[in-house]
Amino acid sequence: MTTQENNDDRIALLQGTLDLLILKTLIHGPRHGQGVARSIQRQSEDVFLVDHGSLYVALQRLEDKEWIGAEWGVSENNRRARFYSLTAKGRERLVEKTGEWRRLTRAMGLILDSSSGLQGEEA
Amino acid sequence: MFKRKRSADDFAAEIKAHLELEADELKREGLGDDEAHRMARREFGNVQGARERFYLRGRFERLDKLLRDLRFGLRSLRQSPGFTATVILTLALGIGANTAVFSVMNAVLLRTLPVADPDRLVYLRTSNPPRGTGTIDSNETFSYAVYDALRQQSRGLSPVMAYVPLSGSKVAVRYGAQPEEAEGDMVSGTFFSGLGVNLPIGRGFSEDDEARHAPIAVISYNYWTRRFARDPKILGRALFVNGVAMTMVGVAADGFEGVEGSGSTDFWIPLQNSRELNAWGNPPDDGKLYLANPTWWCMRLIARLAPGISREQAVAQLQPVFQKAAYVGLGSPMAGEKPPTLSLTDAKSFPGYDQMYGDPLRMLMAMVGLVLLIALANVVMLLLARNAARQREFSVRLALGAGRGELLRQLLTESLILVTAGGALAWAFAEMATRLLGQWAQIESSLAPDRTVLLFTLAVLALAGVLFCLAPLRVALAGGAELALKTSAATSNTNAGKSRAGKTIVALQMALCVVLLVGSGLLIRTLRNLENTPLGMQVDGLVVFGVNPNIPSLAEGRVFYRNLTDRLRALPGVESVTLSEERLGSWWSDNNSMRVDGKMPDLPSGASDTVRSNVVGPGFFTTLGVPVLAGRDFADSDTATSPHVGIINEQFAQRFLPNLNPLGHTIGTDNGQYTMTIVGVVKDHKYRSIDEEPIPMAWYEYAQIPMAGAMNVEMRLHGEPLAILPAARKVVQQLDPNLPLIRPMTQRAQFETTISQHVLFARLAGFFGFLAVALVATGLYGSLSYRVSMRTAEIGVRMAVGARRGQVVWMVVRDGLVLMAAGVVVGVPLAMLVGRALTSSLYGVKPLDAVSYLLAVAGVAAVALAASALPAGRAASIDPMRALRTE
Repeated sequence: MTTQENNDDRIALLQGTLDLLILKTLIHGPRHGQGVARSIQRQSEDVFLVDHGSLYVALQRLEDKEWIGAEWGVSENNRRARFYSLTAKGRERLVEKTGEWRRLTRAMGLILDSSSGLQGEEA
Repeated sequence: MFKRKRSADDFAAEIKAHLELEADELKREGLGDDEAHRMARREFGNVQGARERFYLRGRFERLDKLLRDLRFGLRSLRQSPGFTATVILTLALGIGANTAVFSVMNAVLLRTLPVADPDRLVYLRTSNPPRGTGTIDSNETFSYAVYDALRQQSRGLSPVMAYVPLSGSKVAVRYGAQPEEAEGDMVSGTFFSGLGVNLPIGRGFSEDDEARHAPIAVISYNYWTRRFARDPKILGRALFVNGVAMTMVGVAADGFEGVEGSGSTDFWIPLQNSRELNAWGNPPDDGKLYLANPTWWCMRLIARLAPGISREQAVAQLQPVFQKAAYVGLGSPMAGEKPPTLSLTDAKSFPGYDQMYGDPLRMLMAMVGLVLLIALANVVMLLLARNAARQREFSVRLALGAGRGELLRQLLTESLILVTAGGALAWAFAEMATRLLGQWAQIESSLAPDRTVLLFTLAVLALAGVLFCLAPLRVALAGGAELALKTSAATSNTNAGKSRAGKTIVALQMALCVVLLVGSGLLIRTLRNLENTPLGMQVDGLVVFGVNPNIPSLAEGRVFYRNLTDRLRALPGVESVTLSEERLGSWWSDNNSMRVDGKMPDLPSGASDTVRSNVVGPGFFTTLGVPVLAGRDFADSDTATSPHVGIINEQFAQRFLPNLNPLGHTIGTDNGQYTMTIVGVVKDHKYRSIDEEPIPMAWYEYAQIPMAGAMNVEMRLHGEPLAILPAARKVVQQLDPNLPLIRPMTQRAQFETTISQHVLFARLAGFFGFLAVALVATGLYGSLSYRVSMRTAEIGVRMAVGARRGQVVWMVVRDGLVLMAAGVVVGVPLAMLVGRALTSSLYGVKPLDAVSYLLAVAGVAAVALAASALPAGRAASIDPMRALRTE
């Protein structure tokens, strides 16, 4: 409705983005926090630099929402670590959020492409 | 989130694990052990920060949400400043009025005495005094003999404390050169210790001080502040009381101003035994001071229940002691005489206040309660209307994905902002109002709101808050997202516009308004009756002041007053000067029975033989402007040695000397000691107060009867009466430098003090009545104009199909009138109940006063019409095409 509210949305969107990436990472099975961070970094070809502090807060938030579950386990190199896994609810959200994200990027793309064409004509 | 709370330690362990894992990985990538750890830590960033964020995550989120709601609420309220201002102002007036009146009630009726353990304190009361005694109050005052007997025992009450004023009003004091007046009591030695009143500086009294009649004084904190600017050096200095030096030895705790009902005590001295300091400032009676006079019951008693003793046990213990002491010096009781019985009453709260202010205050509290109801109803209506009008906004927001809970929280936040702002303003309003109230009512104890009042206000605010939360609840639950799509602005709200709840609220408001208007109408008419009551004298141009000279003998007293009168008469601008013992219009009167022609009057059973008497100076009636119907006024030629003369009023003549010419008959005191010949009959006039009924009265000439104490001087002047006071003060001080003018004021002002309560309460009632009307008018206007705006489309259709403007106007006005009629039907019976409850506060008006009722109904009708007229006009001016196009 107003500019102020768009600002609020932007924050929500960024939060949502990290959430979505975490959910996506966990689809291949349980992982600990460090693994999630590494995985996101590697898969995004180092475009996303994950702030580890934010990551753990985000993990906690998702756990609070019961989109992911967590339990202590042992890593491949025999270290105790907290492993996160996707819940049924989280899986649902992942599908939903992925759809939303696709629509958003598509819409953004449509607008950005068309506007660039217009600029080109005028120039 | 609340199901299983994860500990911060667990979180720390996870971070530690992360750092190890990262270091392992870095080592695998070829880094050294130390470097890998350093790197892992650096990559993680601020470990401590992350832990804090984990710890605070929930709180931050909530705080953030709250701030966002507040910001949004403020913005949305700013968008409708008219609505916001109306709501806040309505709340401030409604709650402020309640806070103010409650604060007065709290200070006057509910606050306890500022003493230790007030629950164990009791006032002593007696059923009746023994025959042949004089009292100050027949149930509340005792003789010194009784006090002395009761304090000797210690099993039931311990201690028993006496207190007795030095004067009925104020007493002459002097500190330095300038004589002044102050209120002072003589008290027991156990007074301060027994009550448990602290003395922040100095000391209190001891029983030894009482026994020695020590010339010492304790002053009140208030007096210390007011008169001595809290100078601690005054201790040890002398305060001259009626010319007797009293050394100030202490200051009583802040807030303690005596246990007297009205006024505030400025200083206390131990019980004295001297002519200058007799109880109540009276001259010795038959040569006896209050200490030695068993027939003068003049002391008030307060006591503390002995430990472990109940009130009933104490009474049982003391009854025989009391009944024996009551007859000390009086002989044995007559056959068939009912002996006095002792009883104890609560001394927790201030005595006398309840009697004086209780009923009017409870009535005011009820009135402002109604005002609050109207105000709250108004705000609820406004909120309902506003939220209904925002129905589409809500629907759109729901459609865009806002949760219902969020919507509700938003509305609650808005209500909260309104209540908070209204409450803050109400508090400021109440602070101001109590200050004004205190001045008007001349209540000297502090009325300022305290913690109890704050709690009361917060409770009211909480109530308002809950109420305002229920209003939006309905809206938030009704009307889902689809509403936005289905309906248009003009039709989405038609249901809300017709809401029965809204109609009921408006009708009830009207009813309450009728009640308030009738109530204030009755009180205002009472006030006008009181103000226009003829006093039976020419009261303008009169000034009155008291003097209390220290006179050892009757002869000297006569000389003093003769001198004073002569000197005052010689002042420029003075028309005449006279004296009177009791001041007119001060509630004081001397009541007794009198002999007529040597015997007690024989009256038909049931008729009262009470006569009010006064002792006055020469030219009394001429000075006051009271018509002498037969005979003459007192004159300078009536002296101690001339034949004793008296004057009576019409009532006296009619009751005791019916169908006779009263002149030449004799009247006298009931003990037969003093007789005088009637030389004049005067027209009935007011004596004690404005609202008294005429009663038989008789006047003695001051030079002819054995009295020489305080007198009041009445002066009739050309021009401004108060302008004479400086000159009069100089004259009085030439005669005695210790004498202040006691309570100098115009006689009219003195009379007006007897209706000051009526005046105050009528003004307040008028104010609250007006406030109620204003609130109802805004409420009605708001709701009617809102209804019309909701019916824009309907009106457009009606006009398009041929309705005339007049019909549309009538349709809207009729709406208001129907509501008014309903309100009147409910309100009038309620008002009748209120009128009956008010009976005791009315003067010259019947509780069913037709004029008040008609005016109240007319007032409500005027409000209903005015509030309907504007919306009706607007409805009629709607262009049918535009109204339809708003679709």
